[in-house]
Amino acid sequence: MDFGKTWNEVLDRVKTWARLNSPWVIHFNSGSCNGCDIEILATLTPRYDVERFGIKLQGSPRHADVLICTGPVTLQARDRLLRVYEQMPEPKFVIAVGSCAISGGAFQGCYNVVGHVDEVIPVDVYVPGCPPRPEAIIDGVVKLLGKLQPAKQPPQEEIV
Amino acid sequence: MDVLKTLFILLIFPGGLFVLANGMVYEWADRKLVARLQNRVGPRWFQPLADLLKLLAKEEVVPESVNARLFVWLPIVALAGVLTGALYLPIAGLQPSYSFSGDLIVAVYLFSMLTLCTGIAGANTNNRFSLVGATRTLTQLFSYEAPFLLAMLGPAVAAGSWKISDIMAYSSTHPVILLQPVGFVIALIGLMGKLEMRPFDAPEAETEIVAGALTEYSGRGLALFYLGRYAELIAGLTLMSAFYLGGIHNQLDYIVKTLVLLLALAGVQTLMTRLRIDQIVGLWWRYGTLLVLLQWLVTLLLKGMVL
Ligand code: SF4
Repeated sequence: MDFGKTWNEVLDRVKTWARLNSPWVIHFNSGSCNGCDIEILATLTPRYDVERFGIKLQGSPRHADVLICTGPVTLQARDRLLRVYEQMPEPKFVIAVGSCAISGGAFQGCYNVVGHVDEVIPVDVYVPGCPPRPEAIIDGVVKLLGKLQPAKQPPQEEIV
Repeated sequence: MDVLKTLFILLIFPGGLFVLANGMVYEWADRKLVARLQNRVGPRWFQPLADLLKLLAKEEVVPESVNARLFVWLPIVALAGVLTGALYLPIAGLQPSYSFSGDLIVAVYLFSMLTLCTGIAGANTNNRFSLVGATRTLTQLFSYEAPFLLAMLGPAVAAGSWKISDIMAYSSTHPVILLQPVGFVIALIGLMGKLEMRPFDAPEAETEIVAGALTEYSGRGLALFYLGRYAELIAGLTLMSAFYLGGIHNQLDYIVKTLVLLLALAGVQTLMTRLRIDQIVGLWWRYGTLLVLLQWLVTLLLKGMVL
């Protein structure tokens, strides 16, 4: 019994380590003005070299761990966003990038907009800015990874 | 004892785990070299290991409308094929674990299993990107396979044997790379085609067709396909240095020769952009095959004159 428990703990630690060191991201534009997308592309350029952290842009939602979502969710994009999210295998995380993804921003109240991203799918990290700088986006990913680390999570009692 | 020894050879060293670990190190070296050539910092040394463990720990989605059994077994068959082929090679400067006359052909065909399985895996799913990827994978397979095999058989013809250890003995005494320079270049480029490295990565062009034939794979299946590719990198480099770079005699020899080849591969990857699939087919059939056949002619003539 005891051995099984330690074994599981070790396995968990290995899994967390692997997850922390290889976040593969997929980028989805659910109706942004393209400002945020340009910043995400800038993040992926050699200047910021996110391969250092193991971050890799994947084309297929099946390969990705982190969905980076930009812009407000339009009526048209809503179903697509849901589909992309549901195609990702567990465990999966979502980062909402830009003011629009957080609150609807400049597009709030438009006739063709559903609203912000977390009205449609659960969001783990918000990166504010219009658009946020590449450093902020990288920081968002790092914050997300920090949330995964058991040591850095607040003890369960405090939450309750 | 014999059973244990065989199992050890098959699963741990020099087959199985050793090839995989070695493959991961070389994959990292390749990515790091490309990154340095592009003026980046590049990934950390454990990156392929972390990617692999993460993929193994992820959920595996088996999509509807695929043949589930095929979907699950294809990556296993692909990996097993490459690892079996690696048993006939002088991995890490050791004698091949197994050998018989004609093992070169068997090994080269076992290395094609990976590409073939990738193609079938793409065709198995009902996803349009996978289908396009599978078509491209198989088209590319048919275009580079013939010249690659011919280029690998060049030293075999010169040595007069189809056994890997005999050819290696021949290449240790003859400067094969000077006698058959065309064959060397074509084998090297063919290896890049096999590994779907940059100028030949049309089958998985992520800007056009998401991730090619492997679009629908997640978790374990994807990890096994990646492992197959790492093992194939090792196998290809070993085969090339054994045939063209004067054979592999000890561990240092192995490391130096394979790393020199890897540096060449990284250089080409950095310099070139992706070729279209029709350009790839044209390149191989119009130039590659003809040049290699010419090389054969020269080799045979030389051999006839010397004998
Ligand atoms: S946050 Fe700014 S840059 Fe980003 S989508 Fe909204 S308006 Fe455009």
